Amino acid sequence: MIVEYHRPESTKEMIDLLSREDPRTLVLGGGLYINEVVIDQIAVADIQDLGLNKIKTKGKKQILGAATTLNTILNNDKVSPVLKSAIKYQESYNRRNVATLAGTVIAATGRSAITAVLLALDAEIELIRSGEKTSKLHLGDFLPLREEYTQGTLLTGFSIPVEVTSAFNYAARSPADLPIIAAAVSRWPSGRTRIVLAGYGEQPIMVFDGPNSDGAETAANDAYSTAGDQWASAEYRADTAAVLVRRCLNQIADKNEG
Amino acid sequence: MIMLDLELIINNETFLVPVYPGERLYSVLRRLGFSSVKFGDEHGKTGADTVLFDGKPINSYLMLAAQAEGHKIETLEVMGEHPHLGWKDSRGLHILQQEFVKTGAIQCGYCTPAQILAAKELLTRESDPTEEQVRDAISGVLCRCTGYKKPVEAVLRAAARLRGEKVSPIEDPIQAPPEWIKSPIDDSIPPFITVQTGDTTLTAEKVISKLKVSTKPESWQQVGKPKEKVDAIKLVQGKPAFAADFERRDMLYAKVLFSPHAHARIKSIRTKKALEIPGVAAVLTHKDLPRIAYSTAGQSDPIPGPLDCFSLDNKVRFVGDRVAFIAAESEEIAERARDAIEVDYELLDAILDTRESMKPGAPIIHDEKDYVNFADSDPGKNLAAEIRIDIGDLEQGFKEADHIFEAEYEVPKVQQAHIEPHAVVTYWDEDDRLVIRTSTQVPFHVRRIIAPILDLPIKRIRVIKPRIGGGFGGKQEMLIEDVAAHLTIKTGRPVQYVYNREEEFIASRSRHPMRIRLKTGVKKDGTLTANDMYALSDTGANGAHALTVTGNTGHKAMALYVGDGPYRVSPNIRFYADIVYTNTPPSGAYRGYGVPQGYWPLERHMEKIAFELGLDPLEFRLKNALRAGEIHPFSIAWSEGRDPVPEMIQTNGLEECVQKGKQIIGWDQKINNEVWKDVPGKPYLKRGIGAALVMQGTAIPYLDMGGASLKLNDDGSFNLLVGATDLGTGSDTVLAQMAAEILGVALDDMIVYSSDTDFTPFDKGAYASSTTYISGAAVVDAAIKVADRIRERAVLLLADKLDGKEYDPAEIELSNCCAIAPDGQAVSLKEIALHSLHHANQEQIMAVGSFMSPVSPPPFAAQFAEVTVDTETGQVVVDHLVMAVDSGVIVNPVTASGQIEGGMTQALGYAVSEEMIYDEFGRAREKNFRDYHIFEAHEMPRLDTVFVETFEPSHPFGVKAVAEIPMDGVAPAVGNAVFHACGVNIDQNPVTPEKIWFKLRENR
Repeated sequence: MIVEYHRPESTKEMIDLLSREDPRTLVLGGGLYINEVVIDQIAVADIQDLGLNKIKTKGKKQILGAATTLNTILNNDKVSPVLKSAIKYQESYNRRNVATLAGTVIAATGRSAITAVLLALDAEIELIRSGEKTSKLHLGDFLPLREEYTQGTLLTGFSIPVEVTSAFNYAARSPADLPIIAAAVSRWPSGRTRIVLAGYGEQPIMVFDGPNSDGAETAANDAYSTAGDQWASAEYRADTAAVLVRRCLNQIADKNEG
Repeated sequence: MIMLDLELIINNETFLVPVYPGERLYSVLRRLGFSSVKFGDEHGKTGADTVLFDGKPINSYLMLAAQAEGHKIETLEVMGEHPHLGWKDSRGLHILQQEFVKTGAIQCGYCTPAQILAAKELLTRESDPTEEQVRDAISGVLCRCTGYKKPVEAVLRAAARLRGEKVSPIEDPIQAPPEWIKSPIDDSIPPFITVQTGDTTLTAEKVISKLKVSTKPESWQQVGKPKEKVDAIKLVQGKPAFAADFERRDMLYAKVLFSPHAHARIKSIRTKKALEIPGVAAVLTHKDLPRIAYSTAGQSDPIPGPLDCFSLDNKVRFVGDRVAFIAAESEEIAERARDAIEVDYELLDAILDTRESMKPGAPIIHDEKDYVNFADSDPGKNLAAEIRIDIGDLEQGFKEADHIFEAEYEVPKVQQAHIEPHAVVTYWDEDDRLVIRTSTQVPFHVRRIIAPILDLPIKRIRVIKPRIGGGFGGKQEMLIEDVAAHLTIKTGRPVQYVYNREEEFIASRSRHPMRIRLKTGVKKDGTLTANDMYALSDTGANGAHALTVTGNTGHKAMALYVGDGPYRVSPNIRFYADIVYTNTPPSGAYRGYGVPQGYWPLERHMEKIAFELGLDPLEFRLKNALRAGEIHPFSIAWSEGRDPVPEMIQTNGLEECVQKGKQIIGWDQKINNEVWKDVPGKPYLKRGIGAALVMQGTAIPYLDMGGASLKLNDDGSFNLLVGATDLGTGSDTVLAQMAAEILGVALDDMIVYSSDTDFTPFDKGAYASSTTYISGAAVVDAAIKVADRIRERAVLLLADKLDGKEYDPAEIELSNCCAIAPDGQAVSLKEIALHSLHHANQEQIMAVGSFMSPVSPPPFAAQFAEVTVDTETGQVVVDHLVMAVDSGVIVNPVTASGQIEGGMTQALGYAVSEEMIYDEFGRAREKNFRDYHIFEAHEMPRLDTVFVETFEPSHPFGVKAVAEIPMDGVAPAVGNAVFHACGVNIDQNPVTPEKIWFKLRENR
């Protein structure tokens, strides 16, 4: 039950609230995560007045504010088209107006297309913890420990590289259904290739990050070789993961050639 | 907890509202009376809770009210108003609202406010949107009724009008694509072509084809016309028309404690802590209530099934079964009380697989002594019902066959998923009669069933059915009414109970899953000689609808193919079924009522046979299909609730349906075209097309009865009171059209009210595809009686006016709100009304009509699907669905085509994405619309509907049913299209990527 509502106007005020032990205070963005939380007696601190809803480009990085809604990202010309396609695929119009990027990542399951693409982009999370300056954390390091970061920490933005070519492919029961299996791949100008699989487990997983794509399909196949649940067998996911990774790599090659 | 005093700007007005810190914006808006904002689910997937937040559509259920302070909130209430408000000027409806009304975009109307708000925002930022943009804009609003086609059409037309462009009137015929028009079957009859929109988008491509018509159809002014729905103005404004919109002072809110175990006995239950929570008014357990066995099935008396339910029991039989009822001052308090109830369970072995139910030594799910048997039910064997139907000599048929085909099939449990959840309000009225205002398809059955459970006589109960936000069979139950009623009896206070979405999934009803075995004998030339189906049907923990749903699996599906030649007179068909208990949520009625379960195996099987024998799949089907003039084979062997009586098929447009459907899907161009199957540049994709032929029924013969009453008012308008329940189907409208046709008045002279057990005549309710046929004939009966009386009064009035001139009442024509003599002399209905009510020989002109049918004339249809299969991942995308249907005369082509489009969309989910799975503890995998995926506006295939009209002589307007048949053939058509695309046979729907992938791998 939510027993307090706050709308801080400064980061410091927000961090102070989030650092309280009693009542435990959580960041309130679009409401997607709070809606899932079943904790007695929590307070919420609304992020809307902190100005964290901007999209900026700094050199070779793009900074997406933590409170940016998915539709704002979708309407920005400079955002990665693959991230946009993942947003449009994962969320319907209304929820895109509600959901913030940070909330989407915090509430992500293994079937989150948006999180998979961010992870393939090797996104870094910018955050502030009580008594500390702004720091950065790779999304891959953040995801398994998300729950810990819901207290005393404010996510301020996501930093993603600009000069990266990406692709995303999935298999689902219908075009807008959650993926049973999905692959997101990014390739840097250097040839560095990063591969993420989604559709299973608690979060998307990075299965390959190498100087080139040699062995990528095998890595995908291996990574999901035990990924069986009520939605699909591991056998299916492992085989299809390799197929989707191959398609992503081909699409990236086509884009780069084009 | 400190309350917050918020200043909310809603519809340009400032509201000062005290709220709890955690109170949702949705809750505050509802509290303030903004009834257009609806509850659909807890996760914002339905979008029924949509409001505009600083101009953008958002989910008010996901947002705290406190977050909205400082922002502008807009609800549908601000958009428009009724165009006529007495002496006060009205700004009228917004153009979007007008177009939603005109195009038939409103069916149940529950999601309409949200769709309109989403569309409004789109048109604010994009004046000339594409269809894709419209579909994206409304993608956040789930609609289970329309198939989205008409809402998209409405938005595009509104956009055009807002740009200052003209749009075609809905009634105007627009030239259809030429390939649709020519009929190879009967070139002599010119097709009547009409479409309901401009021709700029996919939404334009709709053809309504009249191949055979009734006498004088062109003189009809109301029947056969695309009239606006009589309830559309109300719904398009988001008026408080639904069960949960009803407010009453001192209302309590109910919650139910559900079982976490699939099978357990309650050893002890302690409610002290719950009762100590401030604001808790009552907690009821099995110890508090009388123990009355009943069935939840909303069916006529006697209910054709076992009585195996209790409001509360000392045993739970599925995860989601009831343990205790709670009433409190708010839902939140009720939830806290629910969580404070302490229960000790003795866990029992559970049955989760139907194949285990009847094995010796299996746990007995219904071991209670007060279980009431029906027919062959046997709780000792976990058998809820048994069916054994033999027609002809099956073994002889097999002996006469050249080939025998055998296969096993499986169909899943799926849910109705109406966007409005089950909702009920109960209270004692001033006469100490219990009023039950409930979202039900069967108000009269609810009253009859609940009375003994509450220990009240029927006469002290009044059931009101307000507007219903979709039912699809899910509300053909007495499901939650008793919860609220018991709590009202306990507390003396009004109680509201509304399921949330998780409760819908774990504690309401669903389609029976079945395992089906088919064995078919066929001669070399494709003549069927024998057809044998066995169904093992899962009724879940209770036996409501067990016998009748599965009976229809055989009755409607296995009746379609009788064989050719002598087999037409003497077919050999067997249908056996065992309907068994398991420890899963009970199955029940779901649109189609057992028939989709029959057509998945049957039509997959027919496809395989045609392929194996090298026969054209459609010619093979038509060769063996039932024809007009033949006896419905099952009518001699089985009927739902009554003794069977042979029925002859009077009308059958199946062959025309096949030809029309083939033209639209491009069958002849694609079926043997290997080049077409390839997708350029994507060698892993393969296209395919498939078809399925289907038939349904129209009502239950000798059982279903509908009633109507019709009363003339002072101004020549009429009150039409019907017991029939419009769930969004448009039945109020088509019933009014029939009455208006007979009485010669405009549709808006019919004030329709349905239904209230105190005021409206009995009607068995909305199920079995019966309302237009049964209730429609009752309306016609009443209207004819009223018309006769009006003619007699007209003759008197004309004599007064014309110095005693005499006319024969039989010659008086009712038209244009007048009674017109053959010589053109006329009096208006208003004059007649004033005369009869006030001037001379005063009388109330009114009549009651009722109708029961001795027959159940089947509608027939050909359904087609075009798919693209990814042969590497197994993903199937459905690109196009076509349905050509003979539903008799179509009373309202807009509402009827809406039924078809919505039904096809539901059936599409059955084909590819919808299923309910349980783990080894009986816990549901699907508890929300993220996991239970129903189709959204932006992922829909193209939908086309064709009406092949026949005139069914057993009905005054020649109608047959349209509501359920769209559910029957989509899944097998998709399965057959997948086979055509990539050569794999999937025998278990839904056709998921993994199933295709496994089969493809086997074939490699």
